[in-house]
Amino acid sequence: MRSKLLNLVISIALVSLLITACGPAATPAPVATDAPAVTAPAATEAPTAAPAPSIKIGASLPLTGDFSGPGTAAQKGYELWVDMVNKAGGLLGRQVEFKVYDNASNPDTAVADYEKLITQDKVDLVVGPFSSKLVIPTSEVANKYGYAFPEPAGGAPGVFNRGLKNIFFCQPASSDVQGVPFVNYLLGLPEASRPKTFAVISQDDPFTLGVVQAMEPLLTAGGLTEVLSEKYPPDTKDFSSIAAKVADKNPDLIIGGTMFDDSVAQIKAYIQAGYQPRGAFFTTGPSLPVEFNQALGKSTEGIFSAMSWFEASTTETNPEFVAAYHAKYGAEAIAEDSANAFTVGQVLQQAVEGTKGVDNAKLITFMHATTFKTVVGPLSFNELGQPKGSFMTLQWQGGTYKIIAPDYAKQVDAIWPKPKW
Amino acid sequence: MSLPSAHLFIQTLILGILVGGVYALMASGLTLIFGVMRVINVAHGAFLILGAYITYLLFQWFGIDPILSILITVPLFFLFGWVLQRYVFSRIENPEQTSVLVTFALALMLEGALGAIFQTTARSVTPFYSTTTLIIATYRLPVTRLAGFAAALVVLLILYYVLQRTRLGRAIRATIQDPRAAQLVGVKVSMVSAFTFALGVSTAAAGGSLLSMIYTFNPASQGDWVAKTLAIIVLGGMGSLPGALLAAIILGVMEQLTAIIVTLYWSPIVFYIFLFITLIVRPQGLMGEVIREKG
Repeated sequence: MRSKLLNLVISIALVSLLITACGPAATPAPVATDAPAVTAPAATEAPTAAPAPSIKIGASLPLTGDFSGPGTAAQKGYELWVDMVNKAGGLLGRQVEFKVYDNASNPDTAVADYEKLITQDKVDLVVGPFSSKLVIPTSEVANKYGYAFPEPAGGAPGVFNRGLKNIFFCQPASSDVQGVPFVNYLLGLPEASRPKTFAVISQDDPFTLGVVQAMEPLLTAGGLTEVLSEKYPPDTKDFSSIAAKVADKNPDLIIGGTMFDDSVAQIKAYIQAGYQPRGAFFTTGPSLPVEFNQALGKSTEGIFSAMSWFEASTTETNPEFVAAYHAKYGAEAIAEDSANAFTVGQVLQQAVEGTKGVDNAKLITFMHATTFKTVVGPLSFNELGQPKGSFMTLQWQGGTYKIIAPDYAKQVDAIWPKPKW
Repeated sequence: MSLPSAHLFIQTLILGILVGGVYALMASGLTLIFGVMRVINVAHGAFLILGAYITYLLFQWFGIDPILSILITVPLFFLFGWVLQRYVFSRIENPEQTSVLVTFALALMLEGALGAIFQTTARSVTPFYSTTTLIIATYRLPVTRLAGFAAALVVLLILYYVLQRTRLGRAIRATIQDPRAAQLVGVKVSMVSAFTFALGVSTAAAGGSLLSMIYTFNPASQGDWVAKTLAIIVLGGMGSLPGALLAAIILGVMEQLTAIIVTLYWSPIVFYIFLFITLIVRPQGLMGEVIREKG
């Protein structure tokens, strides 16, 4: 009798020990932070016989499809951050497990991915995809479940005007002000060389439109005349006629609201149409250091774009990031999107360590109230999740790009007018 | 809406005609296959893209110019088409009804396979003349489009010669007119079908090679191209080769003019507006024959 009772008590004790130790490692704070105390005592040391449960972070990225270039660059940035964190002992002593799904640049797939990550894979935290187009619907999913949504590349006005409080756009400024340093540069040129006319040819995308539609009134107010404004559907490939029309009107300045493929297609079409503007600005495309050069060769000379980050920046944590990136991925130039994804990781890490847990509600409050130390410099957010900072303007010179504005980041003087492409 | 200057109008007209020639080549195979076999080959777009990818590989690995690679891809696809028809399509019981489904399945399979191998990165073939332009009397003719137009014209002329001047061509035209009557006069309809299908698929190879240097493409592009070529053959009259040529030029020109007169956004829609109007107003197309149910 007594031994039977003893057996029962011991069994119950063992089972409850097992349940609290192995059970809900993926649910929010209270249970998760208790777990390490129950299992291994040395929380800051490498995993022992019973390691602390890992922190699961999930993301859905456009690894294929229209946004595959920047999407795969973002994946590299995230995975580098996870590597570095895990090598240094993990977040709060727990190893980070990173789960990525490929949404093929499709918003519906991205939404389904985040639903799956949160409800089935039961991740502790999520990080955002590349492009405003994907961030807008997926942030709603994260909001539904109360998850913080720090994201590397969704800064269009449409991201911030839906009353959501969980979004944190981890670049120095939102997209509507991306073109501002460039506009300031143009208006600062002497009267004689300043462009007098411009055309805007943009993809129908929330991000590209956000940038160019903010630039238009600034340029008009500065005395330039808009001679042509056109929008086109995202997978447009044939720009030959519109290039002929642009060549016919011959504006001094061309502004392309583009992603990568259409920036290359537009430029090739302009070359074929014989259009030689005095200045050219494209929203994305020139910001991809390897692919843009491969596609266009010498035709890249003098083209402007906006940039959130650059490799040679000496801001705190950036040199370490650059060195670690090259150690892991080789000597190729680092795409801005990798740095943006890494920034998301940094913000998340500092927030988790600051709140000492993975309670998303606490993380959201902390992220609104703190200035983070990141590879794009000190980063803080307003109550809509918009970053308080400014972009830089780059120009392609001699086969790579250099920062030409604003003054605090300037590496070289800009070339004006643009050489023939 | 904005009226273009005369110079811009003519320039755009030229671009439209050049691109129309290439569209004509792409659509020719589709219209022939329908004419002879009454099969709507929905996989035609996928064959075009397959041809584009093979041209891309030949260019990347061996540096073979896309126009020269037509000499390689055409025989390859001819064989492929022949085998497909003899051993797959000939076994289908009700070609008129089920061909759409079977070829649709084939298109999806091809798209999936190409996606797995090449991923969805946009590709294009860039020979040394890819941004060169020929300037004639202040009008600019991009060399890739000019070369594409010339190659399309050559292939179409060869096709025309085969159809009009050879016995096989006569057999094909007879089968298009009336398969049973053709059988009665001694035409081996099953051989003609196989040959025509192979011919149709090999024009897709040629079309794909030209496509690869004029446009960027990825596996999903097959959907756009099958839609465009279907619109062309409906407007031209299904089964009519001259009809396809005429319709392709009309649609090519309309597509380019819409971009500069209305807006670039509406350019792709032009095809579908014409498709819609044609089916309502004159379903047999410009040069097709009215198909009456035989009693």
